[in-house]
Amino acid sequence: MNKENKVYVDPLNITFAKFMEITTYIGLIVMVIFGLLYLFGLPGFVNMKHAISHWNLPVSKFWEEVKGIRVYGYSWFLTNLTAMDCLSMVGICILALAPLAGVVSGIFKTKGQKAYTIFFIILTIEFLFAILKPIIMPGVGGH
Amino acid sequence: MRKFLWWSLCILSLLLVYNGLAFAKSGVASQASSGLPWWSWPIILFGFTFIIGLIAPMSGVGGGVLFVPLSTAFFPFSVDFIRGTGLIMALTSALSSSPELIRKGLANVKIMAPVVCVSMVTSILGGIVGLWITNAFPSGKYYITIALGIVLFIIFIVMLTSKRVEFPEVKEQDNLSKALGLTGSWFEPTLNKIVEYKITRLPVGIFFFALVGFIAGMFGLGAGWANVPVLNLLMGAPIKVATSTSMAIIAVNDAAAAWIYISKGAVLPLIVVPSVIGISIGARIGAKLAVKAKPVFVKYLVMAIMLLAASLNIIKGLKGLHIL
Repeated sequence: MNKENKVYVDPLNITFAKFMEITTYIGLIVMVIFGLLYLFGLPGFVNMKHAISHWNLPVSKFWEEVKGIRVYGYSWFLTNLTAMDCLSMVGICILALAPLAGVVSGIFKTKGQKAYTIFFIILTIEFLFAILKPIIMPGVGGH
Repeated sequence: MRKFLWWSLCILSLLLVYNGLAFAKSGVASQASSGLPWWSWPIILFGFTFIIGLIAPMSGVGGGVLFVPLSTAFFPFSVDFIRGTGLIMALTSALSSSPELIRKGLANVKIMAPVVCVSMVTSILGGIVGLWITNAFPSGKYYITIALGIVLFIIFIVMLTSKRVEFPEVKEQDNLSKALGLTGSWFEPTLNKIVEYKITRLPVGIFFFALVGFIAGMFGLGAGWANVPVLNLLMGAPIKVATSTSMAIIAVNDAAAAWIYISKGAVLPLIVVPSVIGISIGARIGAKLAVKAKPVFVKYLVMAIMLLAASLNIIKGLKGLHIL
């Protein structure tokens, strides 16, 4: 036990882990609680029976058949936050933000390690691009 | 106790395969609305992923690598939803374990950072290309299904042939690894001492991670099957550091690719929530069973299931294209 405590772990690693973990727990709780409420019959954006009868279709056709919409971006669930499945989607988004939370918090712990400051800034930009691409370039890379 | 566990595992795996085969054969899998009541689907998903969660820790194969091909072969969901769900499952699993592994010194963020700068881009591209193929072409999903089967064969061969070196000897680091200070240490309880290590061949490693990231993003798989051999055999990371750092890499790559699937509506809580709950509970029990079960036997059993799933995916894709 004493030897285990003597292992040196860079503060950058510790901060990254801490913020990633907190965000993960929040995301999991939101995703699971609202997901279960949806599965147990509380109102959802997507009718479950309707979804099951069309879920063999490619995703774009699925949304046209089930809701009569084309999905680009995140408005399909962000504008329907009274629906349990859409709230569960918010939890999934929080989960997908967990590594970004770790990366952004890690930037402040890279003092004296310029290379890692640059890496973490690059990672932040890449993450933001992944998140914003569907909004700023919706037609690029498929419909 | 061991015999009981082995037989239980065999029976569970056979049940998994048999039900899937029967399901597919009956033609129900090809119809969206089967004779099953709609509420049975979340329960079936929970049970299916629970079994996968039980087997995964013992076999060293990630849940996503088992879920995606088996679901594609046996279930009626579109491959888009299967890949979206697979990504979220792999992401959840990686996020749940990475923080503790980082704190223990086993997962090294400094190794992860330069690698994911490149592989994150390719995993996003993989997600974009994968969804584009299934939606732009009428038979796109069959091409993806066949490609998935081929990737599974490759994974099977990698698992069959790759060795694991517990403590690789790295005599000298390359200039880049040295400049970035890619070293670390952790307390190894089996040796009762702190083990130090260093990494080398970072540029070559980054090239392989870029390729793996693309495949992971395209098919919704985790990438542990490739990350670990690259880190361990090529870059000289001790096996425990390789598997732990791989989880951190998967967490970042899959999180980035997940946004592509979320924005296309390819992530449905109806499928994701029971799957994540099932695999999480199964994995917790599986991790405890892993201590008692013989890992080599389980590994070969799972590899046999993967080979079967690879074959079924290719057959399904060829049938869809009217080649078979």
